[in-house]
Amino acid sequence: MKNDFSFDETDRLIVAELRKNGRATNQQIAERLGLTATTVSSRIRRMEDANQLRVVAVSDFAAHGYDVLMQLAIEVDSRPASEVAHELAQFPEVFAVHIVTGRYDIDALLVLHDFTDMTHFVLDQLSSIRGIRKITPSIAVDILRYKFDVAPIETRD
Amino acid sequence: MATIQLDDLDRQLIELLAKDARVSNRKIATELGVTEGTVRGRIKRLQQERLITFTAITGLQMASNSRLAFIWVQAEVERTREVARQIAEIDPVNAVMITMGSFNIMAMCLFEELDDLVEVASDKILAVPGVHHVETSIAVKTVKYNARVAKITETSPIEGNGTDSDE
Repeated sequence: MKNDFSFDETDRLIVAELRKNGRATNQQIAERLGLTATTVSSRIRRMEDANQLRVVAVSDFAAHGYDVLMQLAIEVDSRPASEVAHELAQFPEVFAVHIVTGRYDIDALLVLHDFTDMTHFVLDQLSSIRGIRKITPSIAVDILRYKFDVAPIETRD
Repeated sequence: MATIQLDDLDRQLIELLAKDARVSNRKIATELGVTEGTVRGRIKRLQQERLITFTAITGLQMASNSRLAFIWVQAEVERTREVARQIAEIDPVNAVMITMGSFNIMAMCLFEELDDLVEVASDKILAVPGVHHVETSIAVKTVKYNARVAKITETSPIEGNGTDSDE
């Protein structure tokens, strides 16, 4: 069902308005686009039901007390990379895991409250995963841009 | 990254709004057992402090064949900030951070055609003065991605005014 879905021009215009202000009322969006509030409401519902749209609050790392952002370039040995990736994905501090092409196998983004958290993460969590040969960390010292509005969407429970 | 003190109500609000930002203040107020005015005031404060922003996240269907690439950049150390700023202005680039590690800048970019990635990495980024070397790594599979937590930078929308949204 998900694969049958396609965005038409009206959907795209509504999404553009929601990206500017996700809390705009259906009426405000309708007025701006020359539609009725009912159309706006049913379009949004249709996109949400097809798991192609979520209007959400995105919170800053700081709101969760995360002060350290790191990227981990992981090389895997003697084990399927996807198995290692799935084990990494289970840690809440690891908020993104991708299998990648290039000189390493898995790219993971990690957030920590502070550097003392590193001890627990490295010694208790990472060390429990078999097959990691090498990790090259990069510590983010400044973030100049961070904007993702296309992402895989989970089904709603 | 300053230390910020949030109380339980802030956290509950963030959690609710992360699921669905179009719930009315009235509904949130009922659910959390506070007044609408409190909800409105809290949301406003969280937005002003750039701790939350409201946006629409669309599935990969919207950008039919979107792929993520990590672009690693080695730039002259004394020009790192200036180079990173210029990379952040290249339009398809979604994220730019200055890093300490084998490379001093990492960028992330969503692209549809390989040609688009070549244009960003090999033409635009490599041409920024001060850039010595660029390496790319393409994500072939997303195992986990939490889009609800991010760095809210100046370029993020903050216009969401927290007024009542209708059901």
